[in-house]
Amino acid sequence: MEEAQVVGLLVRRCVGGDAAAWEEIVQRYHRRIYNVCYRFAGDSDNAQDLTQEVFIKMYRTLNTYDSGKGAFMTWVTAITRNLLVDHFRKTKGDRITDSLDSTASEHEDAQPLSERIADGGLAPDAAVQKRETREMVHLALQSLSPELREAVILRDLQDMDYREIATALRVPEGTVKSRINRGRAELARLLQRTYKQVI
Amino acid sequence: MVDETKHGIDCTEFEALLSDAMDGDGLSAARKQSFEAHRHVCAVCGPLFADAQAGREWLRSLEAVEPPAHLVHNILVATSGVVSRRTLPTRADGRTTPLGERAREWWDSYAAPVSAFVRQPRFAMSFGMIFFSFSLGLSVAGVKPKDVAKVSLRPAVVRHAYNDAQIKVVQYYDNIRFVYEIESKVRELKRANTPAEPAEQKQNPKNNTSGQPEQRQDRNYSQDYNQPVFAALREAPPAVSTTTNRRSV
Repeated sequence: MEEAQVVGLLVRRCVGGDAAAWEEIVQRYHRRIYNVCYRFAGDSDNAQDLTQEVFIKMYRTLNTYDSGKGAFMTWVTAITRNLLVDHFRKTKGDRITDSLDSTASEHEDAQPLSERIADGGLAPDAAVQKRETREMVHLALQSLSPELREAVILRDLQDMDYREIATALRVPEGTVKSRINRGRAELARLLQRTYKQVI
Repeated sequence: MVDETKHGIDCTEFEALLSDAMDGDGLSAARKQSFEAHRHVCAVCGPLFADAQAGREWLRSLEAVEPPAHLVHNILVATSGVVSRRTLPTRADGRTTPLGERAREWWDSYAAPVSAFVRQPRFAMSFGMIFFSFSLGLSVAGVKPKDVAKVSLRPAVVRHAYNDAQIKVVQYYDNIRFVYEIESKVRELKRANTPAEPAEQKQNPKNNTSGQPEQRQDRNYSQDYNQPVFAALREAPPAVSTTTNRRSV
């Protein structure tokens, strides 16, 4: 049985009140949704809250899902994206002061990004250096505008194709491609600029 | 971006093809050749390609993060409310879950939504405001926390305290000048509206100075006037002599 058929069956069972089917859906998609939320929101606490909100919204509107209009993952991504944008609008005031000199939220005692980059070359362990680089990229990702951020997350981290992203974001495919290019380029420039500042 | 045609494609077209070119499977051979040629000569599109490629590599270095173990449990509690054993780690030896663990699981299924609600900032703010208002009210009323511990709740003491409080309230109310003035005004108005009547001579036995004895209520009402009277006291009682005859011992 194909993935789409399996999911369609699960959705029908779930709409019929089958708790086990709903649990199966949660088990299948929670990791993916959590990752999108984590990369977009930037920290684990917000990602957990947002993931929970996504599933609450899904649970309430599951009967509105129409398999003829697109894949279930695309529908879920659209819900996730809408909640993330709402979250971004609500927390916009808090984010104005965010910069590369701020620390990652789950490691409050961590050094700012610029210091971490400076220390990167001195790290004796390659694994530690790799982890620090990932944190740095994750932090730089938060500096992108939400439109560019969501596009690169869905393409480069979630491996969604352009058509699915266009459906989820409700924009033309050309716009998706343009945002992905600009997002990637801006992220690279941001990281390069930070490197130049600290060296 | 400067819209300059080089090697058959302009910069706008280059940007449109950029994603497909980086994916490596979206362009025909001829198109790819034009794209590469443009990239090498264009001062704008060359760096754009390099940046986009570098950005993609940075992003792809990010690995998927593992969600917290309790996330599925929390989601199920917040949605269907049905929590199965799949969300909890199973024991390696296949034994059933201990009673304590089951009790905790049961408690979590009820406590988790409440705890999630309580942890909301608006709830914390409301609770804080209520606490602040309550403590402010108590301090204004002169209630001290250490006095509360000394309070006796025996019924007699409570009744006594209630009566004391009631007396104080009534005294306070009666002593208010405004109330007193209103009451005296009402009395005056009543007096003015009442027609002047002759003051009824109410005979007060204690004020009776006429010297006449009170009419006795224990007289014999069944006695008829025709019945003969065998003996009767005179109107004026005889004077009692104070002299007594003493027997000589």
